[in-house]
Amino acid sequence: MAEEHQNQIYLQPIPVRIWHWLNAFGIITLTVSGAQIRFPDYIHWLGSYKSAIYLHNTAGFVVAISFSLWFFYYTFVARTMANLYVPKVDDFKSGIMRQVKFYFLTYFLGWENPHHPTPDSKFNPMQKSVYLAIMFVLMPLVSLSGIFLTNVDPLRSLIVMIGGLKILAGLHFLLACCLVAFIPTHVYLATLGRTPTDHIKTMWTGWEDEGEGHTEEPEKSNSTASS
Amino acid sequence: MKMDRSINYLWSLLFLMVLAVPLSASAMEMDDCLGCHGDADEVGDELFIDADKFIPTVHAEMGCVTCHESVTDEHPDDGEAVSKSDCLDCHEELGNQYMATEHAENAVCSDCHNPHQVHGIEAVSGPTMNQQCSQCHEDTDVMDSHAEWLPQASLHISKLPCITCHTSAEGYEIVLNITQKQKKSEGLKGYRFSSYADLKEISGEKEIQSIIDIDGDNNISLAELRTFNRNPAYKNFHLSGTMVPSEISHDLTTLDNRYDCTFCHASGPGSMQTSFLALPTEDGYYRRMTVEKGAMLDTLYGTPNFYMTGSTRSPVMNIIGLVIICGGFIMPIGHGTLRFLTRKNRKH
Repeated sequence: MAEEHQNQIYLQPIPVRIWHWLNAFGIITLTVSGAQIRFPDYIHWLGSYKSAIYLHNTAGFVVAISFSLWFFYYTFVARTMANLYVPKVDDFKSGIMRQVKFYFLTYFLGWENPHHPTPDSKFNPMQKSVYLAIMFVLMPLVSLSGIFLTNVDPLRSLIVMIGGLKILAGLHFLLACCLVAFIPTHVYLATLGRTPTDHIKTMWTGWEDEGEGHTEEPEKSNSTASS
Repeated sequence: MKMDRSINYLWSLLFLMVLAVPLSASAMEMDDCLGCHGDADEVGDELFIDADKFIPTVHAEMGCVTCHESVTDEHPDDGEAVSKSDCLDCHEELGNQYMATEHAENAVCSDCHNPHQVHGIEAVSGPTMNQQCSQCHEDTDVMDSHAEWLPQASLHISKLPCITCHTSAEGYEIVLNITQKQKKSEGLKGYRFSSYADLKEISGEKEIQSIIDIDGDNNISLAELRTFNRNPAYKNFHLSGTMVPSEISHDLTTLDNRYDCTFCHASGPGSMQTSFLALPTEDGYYRRMTVEKGAMLDTLYGTPNFYMTGSTRSPVMNIIGLVIICGGFIMPIGHGTLRFLTRKNRKH
């Protein structure tokens, strides 16, 4: 084991990897079934409308549960939620701009990534900000609006308070579109490792090569890396 | 010429008198009948006719003897049993449809339709229609059997009249009802259909329709619907939409296409192009007012709390969603292209 993983660090513990792939599979299922639910007259990928609804509800439930487990794990088990996901003052002052400059300019000139991931600081300042928005705003809101939409009758008064069923359905749709838009960006950034499949392998095996080439760390990682 | 006109007037007058005679006669007869049958103490519960409920019906307009033709001036002293006409004498088509169903083995017409209180579909609310069904079909059984296969079973059952799916009527229309938040102080939750008295309280001296029909043209425009929805004074009211058959059928077969969700949940089916607002009347029924024709989906968009998955989606929202998703490809395509073009710079 030790020899096999020489020059490697254990970045993605099993709970994180399970959560990540469960989430990925769930979100893709939700996207496909959601598309059929919204456009039943054009899309019939999953057979009947009813099966699309059942699949959407089930996948939504799985993603919401896995989100809760993710939250529980980082907050109470790993206790690194704030450290990993909340940008610090320095990140706002210079970190974000430095990272933007790298991605959109110096990367093309062949410069090295100014951010070197360590077990305690996996995400660069840009990633932190994006993941903060996704995990603390988008995911909870899209899950919550989905829960409301599957329980319209018992939650009617609350739904009216929000502005009505139509507003809620529209909000759910637009938030879901934002999450869907994140997928191609996320997958693309995952190819910016030493080799295009480097980071993807890491999210599957947990181990990442140490040394140069940490141009991007796209996936969720954990600072309680063990060796 | 003048002579001709006078003769025409005389003929018209005569014609009107002929028309008026049977009407006044039947009105008289009805008063005579109700004199006794309108009093439960006098005739007993079985023969009692609730005049308040009977008089507004179409049957009352025809007069009692139309159906009870054997009644004599000596009734009840003559000791003769009074005849009752068969519903099928008038409602032949509907009756024959019904007689061919299994329901006919278990219930006669009057088990569901009290002929002295019956109203047309447009005058009855969805929950009232469903009361006829729940006389035999237990609510829990209905819920359980639907929940086996129907997503959001309770929502469908609470929103739709049973006959929307369980008749072979092909055409449908949307009916919007005014509902209002129930008072927490009275220990009640959720919304209920507003009554005439509820709406009269807010319309004051004006007709209740003025709450929505601002210009008083007996037609609800999209703008009027929006004004109602956005008026902060009506924040406790909202419009609740339902689908009802546009024609009555008593063939209670559930057509196969009703099991296909897209029968309703697809964008703008032809059957959803007509809509009405149901306004409560003083006597506890409803009257319908047309909602702007040909703008069905727009009408539904104007109603914040009416959303039917798949069928009432907003095209504007679809475009915004598409733009957002396309935005997700900017990075892979833009950055990826530059990355490819500058790949030599990173070979070190």
